[in-house]
Amino acid sequence: MAEVESISHSGICVHDLKEAEEFYCNVLGARVHSRVNFKTQDALRGRSIHTTLTLDDYVFAVMLTEDWMEVPDAGQLRGANRTRHSFCVPKARFPKVLEMLEAVEVPFEGPVMHPEHGPFGESVYFRDPTGNFLEVLWRRDEDVVYSTVQPLGHGGGG
Amino acid sequence: MALDGAFSHLTIEVSDLDKSEAFYLDVIGLDLLGRDMVAENRPTSLLALNTRQRVLLVEVPEVPPYPASGGSIHHAWLLTMEQFAKARDRLEALGYETGIDPRQSFRAVGEFNMDIHDPDGNRFQIQAFGEEGTEILASGAGTVACGKFGEFAPGSVTRFAEGRFFLVRNRDGFLALSAWCTHKNGITAWQKESWHYYCPFHGAKFDGNGVYKGDMGCQPLRLNPVSIADDGTVLVDTGRFFARDGYSPSQAVPARPGAAFQCGGLHPLAVSFEKHVGKAPG
Ligand code: FES
Repeated sequence: MAEVESISHSGICVHDLKEAEEFYCNVLGARVHSRVNFKTQDALRGRSIHTTLTLDDYVFAVMLTEDWMEVPDAGQLRGANRTRHSFCVPKARFPKVLEMLEAVEVPFEGPVMHPEHGPFGESVYFRDPTGNFLEVLWRRDEDVVYSTVQPLGHGGGG
Repeated sequence: MALDGAFSHLTIEVSDLDKSEAFYLDVIGLDLLGRDMVAENRPTSLLALNTRQRVLLVEVPEVPPYPASGGSIHHAWLLTMEQFAKARDRLEALGYETGIDPRQSFRAVGEFNMDIHDPDGNRFQIQAFGEEGTEILASGAGTVACGKFGEFAPGSVTRFAEGRFFLVRNRDGFLALSAWCTHKNGITAWQKESWHYYCPFHGAKFDGNGVYKGDMGCQPLRLNPVSIADDGTVLVDTGRFFARDGYSPSQAVPARPGAAFQCGGLHPLAVSFEKHVGKAPG
């Protein structure tokens, strides 16, 4: 047993909040949970300007960078730039997800097959408009029952 | 489109795989699944959390620098309270500073947090939620005399900071809404321009009558009983709390001398702390 249950959320930086909201919501199906914008008291008291998004069972606090963040070349679709977030879908739905990415014209790299002795099956790699790297994959352990990830509400602050 | 999936794993670039693997195993407390189990053309280490989630460490020649303001980039490990206590001991034994939460004013009651950096400078929160987050916290202000009922216009919301409640006069009469957020005991604020109560801790919103709007499944804000004395003074008993499933006009106390709160159909709640003013964001 590990000493940690889950990763409850991440704060990631973007250059344009509106563009990021549109990408995560319209392309990946995330929902806006809350916004800390220029008007709110907590923002005036030093809280980062951000939108909290839920994407499946994950929470992203999408923060506006205060200065320009270096991002890899526009042509690079697969990478990490320190970190990369990966979402799994059932193997049976994986081809559908590729079709959906194509339909919304999000360029991706892959699919890439993982070694059979590992838990991952096949991945595709892409990025958000700022250049944060993302991945969608199916997993060989999709039928294993793990303990449940605690729902939204655990975190989102930053 | 919707992914309709689940979070699978976080990939983290590291400059020294041995060193970082040791950090994530010994300091953070992840389990090792193995090395080089993933299609990457660099050395990798795959680590497990207790849920399906995984962490993939990838060794790269150089970890890119953060933006100068990159302090807001972070990831949060969620622990049980038991694991959190163990983590604190473990971190202290290893010489980490654990007592200071730089963003304490943004945490709800019962939200415990430690900040830690990995060997490459990635910032992590280690967080856990204790029972205090859902306990009933009295302000210790006792019965608060708010003023004569005529002083509160219909449609008004008046915040009583010390008593931790909002006095609301709606079309049905007076309501005293407890300011403690029913999610995890943050303190809510009335946002007049949006016509809702907002909790900045995790973003819960409650409508003008204190009923939750959103998808976290929170209960409505609790009620403190209101009464109106014969001389017209509005009194709020901050030592008693009632839960409800939604709003109904019978919860409001009519604006006339001698009117009193009717608790029929509401659920009285046992107070956990007689005096707890907590932290207010605003
Ligand atoms: S304490 Fe979590 S939203 Fe209020």
